[in-house]
Amino acid sequence: MGLIEFKKVSRIYQVGDHEQKALDNIDLDIEEGKFIVILGPSGAGKSTLLNLLGGLDSPTNGEILVEGKDISKLDNNSLADYRASTVGFVFQSYNLIPTLTVFENVSLVKEIVKDPLSVNEMLNEVGLEDHKDKFPSELSGGEQQRVSIARALAKNPKILLCDEPTGALDSETGAMVLKVLLNMARNYHKTIIIVTHNQNIAKMADTIIRVKSGHIREVIKQDKPLSVDEVDW
Amino acid sequence: MLFKKLLRTIWHYKAQFISMILMVLLGVGVFVGFQGEWKSIEVDTHEFYASTGFADYRLVSETGYSEEDMNKIASIQGVNKVSRYVSVKTNETKENDVIAVTVTTNFDVSSFIVTKGEEYNASALNTIWMSDLYAKANDYHIDDEMTLKYGAISLTGKIKGLIKSSEYLICTPGENQMMPDYKTYGFVYISPEMYKQALGGFELYPEIHAISNLSKKEFSEAANEKLGKTNLILTKNEIPSYSEAQGEASEGKTMASILPVVFLGIAVLIMATTMQRLTINEKTQIGTLKALGFRDSRIVKHYTLFGLFIGVVGSVLGIGFGYFIAWFIFNPGGSMGTYFDLPSWAIHMPWWTFLVVLGIVGFMTLISYISAKNMLKGTAADALKPFTPKAMKRLKIEDSKGWRRLKFATKWNLRDLFRHKARSGMTLFGVFGCTVLLIASFLMMDSMVGFVNKFYYGSMNYESQISLKEDTTNEKALEIATYYNADYSASTNVSLNEEAIAMDIYDINHDYVRFLDTNMNYVNLKDDGVYVGQRLMESNHLKIGDTFTVSIFGSDTTYTMKLTGQLRTLTKGVVMSKKYADEKGIEYKINQVFTNTKKDDISAHSDFISTIKSRNDIIKSFDSFMEVMYTMIGALIVLSIILGIVVLYNLGTMSYFERYRELSTLKVVGFKDKKIGKLLITQNMWLTVVGFILGFPAGIGITYILMKALAAEYEMMLIFGWMTFLIPVVLMFGVSLFVSWLVARKNRKIDMVEALKVPE
Repeated sequence: MGLIEFKKVSRIYQVGDHEQKALDNIDLDIEEGKFIVILGPSGAGKSTLLNLLGGLDSPTNGEILVEGKDISKLDNNSLADYRASTVGFVFQSYNLIPTLTVFENVSLVKEIVKDPLSVNEMLNEVGLEDHKDKFPSELSGGEQQRVSIARALAKNPKILLCDEPTGALDSETGAMVLKVLLNMARNYHKTIIIVTHNQNIAKMADTIIRVKSGHIREVIKQDKPLSVDEVDW
Repeated sequence: MLFKKLLRTIWHYKAQFISMILMVLLGVGVFVGFQGEWKSIEVDTHEFYASTGFADYRLVSETGYSEEDMNKIASIQGVNKVSRYVSVKTNETKENDVIAVTVTTNFDVSSFIVTKGEEYNASALNTIWMSDLYAKANDYHIDDEMTLKYGAISLTGKIKGLIKSSEYLICTPGENQMMPDYKTYGFVYISPEMYKQALGGFELYPEIHAISNLSKKEFSEAANEKLGKTNLILTKNEIPSYSEAQGEASEGKTMASILPVVFLGIAVLIMATTMQRLTINEKTQIGTLKALGFRDSRIVKHYTLFGLFIGVVGSVLGIGFGYFIAWFIFNPGGSMGTYFDLPSWAIHMPWWTFLVVLGIVGFMTLISYISAKNMLKGTAADALKPFTPKAMKRLKIEDSKGWRRLKFATKWNLRDLFRHKARSGMTLFGVFGCTVLLIASFLMMDSMVGFVNKFYYGSMNYESQISLKEDTTNEKALEIATYYNADYSASTNVSLNEEAIAMDIYDINHDYVRFLDTNMNYVNLKDDGVYVGQRLMESNHLKIGDTFTVSIFGSDTTYTMKLTGQLRTLTKGVVMSKKYADEKGIEYKINQVFTNTKKDDISAHSDFISTIKSRNDIIKSFDSFMEVMYTMIGALIVLSIILGIVVLYNLGTMSYFERYRELSTLKVVGFKDKKIGKLLITQNMWLTVVGFILGFPAGIGITYILMKALAAEYEMMLIFGWMTFLIPVVLMFGVSLFVSWLVARKNRKIDMVEALKVPE
């Protein structure tokens, strides 16, 4: 059994009079410590998959087992605990708190996690130790995303979920952010799941999951994924 | 198409629109309502005075005036109408009630209107026109017979008409009774013929009433010259039915010029902030319309309509609500109805009230216009960008040592407050304003209750107050006072600088009547001079140690007296001890006796007793008098609380939506709903604490100003009771906590997926 299992999971949205199936009866198995890329066009259902796994949304049908525990049955408070302890999020739009400094944005996790990683250590890892007293608005997009990565990892989660983490960045900055992300994830033995349009990112993945129209079309395992530096950005 | 969008946008922001409309409704309603109250008193009473020929001047003489005297006054240029007039207190034989029998020789002056029955007939005999309220209270009907006695004179007649007269607009017999009690006191009119017959062909009219446009000086000079002697002349301002009613109107005007203006100010300013924020939320849509090719003027017009819509709907509803508030305070079935006996209770508004409301609609439209204009600045691409609040900068307090030790929630809330200064400021202002209103309302209430308690439960230290009949001699009065082991007083009206005031002479041996000094402490009357209240001191520019002269009504006698102290009094008058009065040779007639004997045990000497009132009767009467004020204050308190809820809910919701993305992030990171709710509640409570601390002294200040302005009506001082401290604290923090909780509950419904999709 893998770290994550999707068993016949569907997510159906009611749009006006008709139903829209964002995910349709999917099965999926993800192993621990792997780097997974979910690829697919817009509206394929890849973000829905990520949101369900992150406990931001609940499936209409099916079970989502994480470490053997079905998170689809959890109530609001238990889901919050799950999000605090098991998953870390990195978003395309960073979602930092504008009124907190870099240090404080990362320190946020201390409010909800009993044994977080050192905030200073995380900031060193992402190369922002000299910017810790700045506010998000004083940072570039790439720097903000690195803060977001530091914050996600500071919780010491098992799984790191990234939704188009380089979507708002130019390719050079995007590559740099990915490098930081992958290095940290590997150093800290995290399972990373990235949702993206970007085919280049897929070249670095252990597993590529192709999603289309709410179905999983293909799961490709790569024995020799490329490193960030090997990818032609 | 844009109109459809307008309607849908209104629907989309229905919570904000409803709260904005509610704020305008409340602000305009309270403003309009309180203006309507005093204006209605003013107009309805003046219409009544006009329809019953309320006199501008009254000449008073104990020896009476002849028809020839009256004609002389009538011949003065500038005098329109005159009448000889008498009002004498008689006793009704059935219940021994006191009835003022009134006669006017010219029905155009100091007369009445008939509400039921026969019209007036100047030559009718055995015919009585009776106060309709007295008739109702005592079960008298048309064609009932009644007998009235004044000493040996007896009057019997049939009730032929039920009436109202502006002479008895506030129908009290005096003697400390401030509210009418139709069960025991009323009035009737009879014809001059019947009066003459009752006196056995003799006529005594101690007053001439005149309607004239002349000034008092012009009238006095002309009247004295025509009659060849100095006359006591009273203006209508010295007659309680006029002065007290106008005092009530001016008291309402004072109230209306302070607290409802604060109320309106809060509502309009917060509404303006909400309107501006709403336009900010629409920035992307504004940009889209601009990018599509709509002209700026069309877009601005579209968004200006929002302000106009809220302004018009809120104001129209507010005016309706205002009329309701005015009616609530001023209606014959309410507390005002027990005070005034008016034929019409129509609600009137000062014309400028509507101008103010129009100004508010204009202001809100202008705010929408300016907000939309601001959103359209720059190119279409600029307009398309969503609004971003100012970038966060370091606060000065962050350099302090303690900052780093602060909790995350504290830092987050502090920075948020400073980042959204306008919103925080408005919330603070809302709490401040509501605190001011609550403190002012309760402090007024406390001061009134405190004053009433001091006055009625302390100053009136007796069990019963006996009013003696007008023909009781001083010897007999002293006999009665001795019999009942009582203190006594002699009250008469005198003129001080041409103003009619009361002169009360007391002989206090049992401490049954006590007097309050300016600090609300009880003092004994010294025998070296007289005492007056604050109002008389101010209006006559008197200070302690000064001497002044009063003249006795109906005679040329004057007395010069020394001012030895200041008292807090209910009535405008001079108070002195019997010893000082004797020393000055003042003639007086004892008319009040104060005893510890219970009302029901007073039966001896009943032939000389006009009325007996227990202390409770008097307190009850004053309580009804204060009820008018309590009603106004009560309405203000309730509306302040509603305004507080609407304002805080509106700003809380606004704050919630502006922080929606941040709150979603916290939720995604793993914060529980309760913890996020606590963050929101904490911020609101901080603002409540600061707003309350600022509002508390401001509320006291406003009350002080209000008390000063009301000094012409009440000689009160600020008294801080438990109500002032406790209730506003509980109410303000209760409201704030309740509203914060309502807003905080919303975070349960945050859609994390949708919230985080939106690009920054």
